[in-house]
Formats: sequence, structure tokens, C-alpha cells
Amino acid sequence: MATIGHNNLNAKLVLLGDMGAGKSSLVLRFVKGQFLEFQESTIGAAFFSQTLAVNDATVKFEIWDTAGQERYHSLAPMYYRGAAAAIIVYDITSSDSFSRAKKWVQELQKQGNPNMVMALAGNKSDLEDKRKVTAEEARVYAEENGLFFMETSAKSAANVNDVFYEIAKRLPRAQPAQNPTGMVLVDRPAEGSRAASCCS
Amino acid sequence: MESSSSQSNEPEPIVVVEEKQRDIDITTSTEPGSDITWRRTTGSDQDMDLPSSPSSSGYAGEGGGSTSATTGSLIEIEHDEIEEEQQLRIQNQIDEISITDSNSSWIPGKRHQNEDDGSISWRKRKKHFFILSNSGKPIYSRYGDEHKLAGFSATLQAIVSFVENEGDSVKWVRAGKHQVVFLVKGPIYLVCISSTEEPYESLRGQLELIYGQMLVILTRSVNRCFEKNPKFDMTPLLGGTDAVFSSLIHSFSWNPATFLHAYTCLPLSYATRQAAGAVLQDIADSGVLFATLMCRHKVISLVGAQKASLHPDDMLLLANFVMSSESFRMSESFSPICLPRYNPSAFLYAYIHYFDADTYLMLLTTNSDAFYHLKDCRIRIETVLLKSHVLSEVQRSLLDGGMHVEDLPPIPQPGVSHLGQHMLPSDSPERFKEANHSIGGPAGLWHFIYRSIYLDQYVSSEFSSSISTRQQQKRLYRAYQKLFASMHDKGIGPHKTQFRRDENYVLLCWVTQDFELYAAFDPLADKALAIKTCNRVCQWIKDVENEIFLLGASPFSW
Repeated sequence: MATIGHNNLNAKLVLLGDMGAGKSSLVLRFVKGQFLEFQESTIGAAFFSQTLAVNDATVKFEIWDTAGQERYHSLAPMYYRGAAAAIIVYDITSSDSFSRAKKWVQELQKQGNPNMVMALAGNKSDLEDKRKVTAEEARVYAEENGLFFMETSAKSAANVNDVFYEIAKRLPRAQPAQNPTGMVLVDRPAEGSRAASCCS
Repeated sequence: MESSSSQSNEPEPIVVVEEKQRDIDITTSTEPGSDITWRRTTGSDQDMDLPSSPSSSGYAGEGGGSTSATTGSLIEIEHDEIEEEQQLRIQNQIDEISITDSNSSWIPGKRHQNEDDGSISWRKRKKHFFILSNSGKPIYSRYGDEHKLAGFSATLQAIVSFVENEGDSVKWVRAGKHQVVFLVKGPIYLVCISSTEEPYESLRGQLELIYGQMLVILTRSVNRCFEKNPKFDMTPLLGGTDAVFSSLIHSFSWNPATFLHAYTCLPLSYATRQAAGAVLQDIADSGVLFATLMCRHKVISLVGAQKASLHPDDMLLLANFVMSSESFRMSESFSPICLPRYNPSAFLYAYIHYFDADTYLMLLTTNSDAFYHLKDCRIRIETVLLKSHVLSEVQRSLLDGGMHVEDLPPIPQPGVSHLGQHMLPSDSPERFKEANHSIGGPAGLWHFIYRSIYLDQYVSSEFSSSISTRQQQKRLYRAYQKLFASMHDKGIGPHKTQFRRDENYVLLCWVTQDFELYAAFDPLADKALAIKTCNRVCQWIKDVENEIFLLGASPFSW
């Protein structure tokens, strides 16, 4: 949930999408300005934070870059619970990854925070000649589902900062500090052991 | 499908035939050259590398040694295969050479992805590892593309079920130069096909570790997928973990922890390790199950919550998982992991953070919501580590290395020995006082490993210059491994001492209730002197145990 203190906003943001879509590359481009041609698979989820200045406020993003592998799917709620924003990433050269992205959107609509700002990012826009998903198709889908849509390229940096900036602008800020509907993240974990396992 | 297998002492390859597909020979005896001869010179490579069973494997060439053509013709020889084979031999030599350089030149991840069981290069690999399901579906292969190995996997599965149908279970099959070792874990089968002459116990232990590594990633509950659907394809579940397995398999040839079932510590002053331990203990008291500070594969300090104990094998697998996954170096991470010896059915959650390129912290908890708490813990730990200069001491220790055989102090030594002795100026007379051999330590001591049974820790000396290449080191580890297996052989052992001399070295092993010592000497070393030297090594270790071991409240009490 986004929380407000004076003109500072803390917002939890999660990236979801198929493996190899470029989630980590987008985050690394945004946070560190780097791009690696051969980005290794993310394990579990990686945490980053980055602050953006938007108009009169600063937004501190706490970013969860999740792993796209199937085995982590059942653990995704752990990362998107209480998120104020989500970027669902697909690879414009892979129709499968676009289908996967739609499934993530459905899951978030069902289980995520209802006020969540959702962005659909068609990544790898530099690979125009290998395109499989048209921008029009994705735009229509995004509009129907209340997401905002951008095509990005972590490699060329095109639109990468813009996605995060746009999210920062759309985060609800006039909200009074009411009890958020999502889960409240506390410093101290609840005691008691809970075990999750795959394929359950 | 029909399958048959046979076992004999004769070097006769076992042939398993799948009738409707092409013939598959799982045990081509293509490398008559042993590990050792393979490495020696390019000249002998030419001879030793010639394939030996042309008819069974489709290779051309004269038989080189005892395993010459023993099987009926299965595959016709083709001309281009001969040429291809020449090229591949060169390619293999290049591979060997590039690997020989040093440890750091090893590249993680899967290689030879384009190979399958039809490739000659694939058949020539010395050591294969496979994971497959009990319906014969490939899950992992060290070399080649799993999907292309479906037929081969089915063959392995057929062997297992053939024996199981008799109400028995197959442990291993010897076929010429090759040993095929099987491990059945519920619906998962693990198979090693090796021509490295490692003992069965060692190879089986390696399969156990591979299975453990799989559990680290998936837990044992993956079995349920097979209960629901016996034809379940598990490969997607392991997506992106090739590097984890290949790095574990690589460690079988350099990391003694893989057969000693003990862990090792980074040498540090007692005070430094205490400082690290104290802050980890604080954290463990706040709901963390295990807190571990590591430098590469060596422990700086670790603590466990009350009654929680961490098995050295779990540590090995966890460290391998973390170090082989590049993604943990990018930022702090929170990931589900399973410790198979602790609880193979459940995930724990690991907070992982690298302080520098070598040093990383792992905080394990049962609570999936604990990330922010663990992040705070890490910040506290980092502050203390910086304040007490632990991180800079760690870097210094990395540079200095551990115990150097050249520094072995003479007996009697009044307990003032320190690891830093090798830092003496090189012109110091003390340094070479004992080095009556031109290389290595006194009495021709080249290397040793000391395992403390009580602590479940071992210390391995630095390699002397006589064992400087990776190939030499790998060969020595294989020799130690053999020694370990023979010392612990349940049939003829356990033994207390063993003295063994061959053309490569003198190996001395000494097992007591408290420790196991493995030492390698110059092949010309004198036996009495070597034994004396081993006593000195033990005394030396006692003198510096504060620095090389993690002492005190050990959570390793299972």
C-alpha cells in the first residue's frame, strides 16, 4: 500500500510476468541504469528501492522483482500482497508471454489490492523485426482492463523510466491514512511457523 | 520395448536395445585412457584417446587396450563420423585445456546443450548425471538437451523397472570402463554413468547430493505431482537452475565437503569470529531459524535457533544454490528454499544479501512475511561487521589463504604457532629451515585435510606448488575420496590407518575417535618421517584451532 508522510510516498511495487520477459532488466535499467545482454534467471524475488520525484512529492518505490519460473507461481501472492502498483511484463516477440501476462492480470484483479495501479509493459520493443504481439492488440486489452500500457526496451532504455514515472503519478495520494484494505507490513513478523510448498 | 542387461567382470559393454527406435548403447567403452593418462601429454592422448569399440558405438579407430570390439555390430560406421570424431577430439582437448587453467576459469551453466545420445562427443563425456521420472521422462542431464534424451531416459528407466520387476533394486552396473550407478527416490530416479573409477560409495553420495539440491529448489512435495499424473513433465519446474546443478557437479571435483560431509571455516582470528558470532546470535534470538555468514563456500560464523541444527550437507547445498545463482548478487533477495536434512517437505524462506563479491549473509526463517524484519536484521549486522572490521579481516584472510604446508612448525612447539607464519619475509631463515625438499613442506608433505569428527568441520591446507594445476588437484581429491571410501568401507573396515604409495604420491590416512587426517606426500617420501609429520600436523591444528574452526555453542548437534 502506498503510505503518505508529508509529501513523501512509500509504494510497494511488484513486477510479474513470464520468465525471460525482462522484468529484472527493466528494474535494473530503472534502478541502476544498467543493462545486461544475458541476464540470469531471478531466484525467488529480488528487492530494490528507488525514489522518484513527481511534481511536488517524492515517491519511494519498494520494488519486488519476482521470478517468472513456474515453480514460484504459487508464491507470488507473498510478493504482490499489499502492493500499491504492479507492472505486468511481457515480451513483444512472444505470444506465450502475452497470454501469461493476461493470466497475471486476472489473478491480480481477483486477489490483488483493488486500488492497485496496474501497468502493462510490452518489453523488448527494440526487437521490432521479431514482433509477435502488436501494440494495438495490447493497447485494446489494457484499455478493457483498466491498465495503462507502454512498450518498453530495457536494452535501449526506451520508456523504462516513463512507466515508473507514470505509476508514481497515478498513485492515490490524497487518501487519508485510513486502514488499507491490503495486508499491513509490519516490522515484526507474526510468530508461528508457516510452511509453503510447491505443487500443493 | 524389450530390454536386457548383463553384468560380468569382463570388460564387455552392456547393450540395451530399444527395438522400435535405433539401437542405443549406454556403455560405450570409448576411453581406454584412464583419467590420469588422459591428462599427461598430448602425445599419449593421441594413443590413449582412440576409441575402442568401433562396432558398438559407431566409432572408427583401432582398439586401444583391453576393451576392444566385444559387441555385435549395432551401428554402421560412416565416413563423416570418423572425420567428425577427429574434430571432436581436438575440441575435447581444447575443452580440457580451457578447464585446466584454474578454478576461476570454470564457467557456470550448462554446456554442450546441442548434444544428445547420438553425438559422439556426448558419449565420450567421462561423467554423466541424469535425473528422470519413474515413467522415464528426462528431468535433468548434465550434458545435452533433456528433451532430446527422452529415448535414452526411457532406457535407463527400463533398466530400473526390469530389476524392480524381479522384486529387487539395481544399485550399480559395471560395463567395461563404465560404472552405472542408480539411486531411486520415490518417483525420481538418479543415474550416474562414469568412467572416472571413483568408488561406488562416492558416486552414490554424489547422486544423493544432486537429489538434495533438487529438494532445495522444490521440496519433496514435488512427488505429489507424480501421484496426480505419472507422466508429469518436471523440467519446467527446474527452469533456470542448470547453473545450480552444474556448479554442484563441478564441486564434486574440488570441494572435499562433498564427500567428507563436513563444512570448513574461513581462517580468522578468534576475536573476529566471536564478533561476527555475537551479532548473529542476537538476530537468531529474534525469530530467525538460522543465521549464516559465509565467504564463498567457507563459514565465517553461523548460529541456529534453539534446538535447530543445520546439517553440513544442507549447508553445502544452500551455499552452492546461492553462489551459483547470479541473481542473488544483484540485490537483496527473499526466496523460498528447502533444507532437505532439516525438513525435506517444507520451504523455509531465505533472506540473502551480499556484502561484497565474496561475503554473503543468509537468514533463514519459517515466516514468509519476515522480509522487512530480516532486512532490518541485516542492516544491524552490517553495522556491527563494519565497526568491528570483520569484513576487512575476511578479505585479508582470503588473500593470505589458509594453512600452508611449508609453514608446518617443528615439534616441540610451545603453542605459539599462528596461521600468519607464512607471512614471514621470504628471506627469513625460519621459513626454509624445514623445507629440505625443494617443494612442499617438511618430509615432502604436499597437502593435508583434517576433519574434526566432534565439530563436523574440516580444514584443508593450501596446495603446495607440486599440486598447482586444477587437474592435479582434482586427481588428489579423487584419491582422497577413494581413501575415504576405503577407510569407511563397512565390509572390510573401518580402518585406523592406511599408508599407500603409488607413482603420484604417498597417501597417509589416520582415523581416530576425534579426527580423520588425510595427507599427501612426495612419492619418494620416507614412511617413518611421513608418520612423524602427520603427528606434527595434528599438533599444529590443535595450536591454531581457535582460528581455523568455529568453536563453542555449535548448532550441529543432531
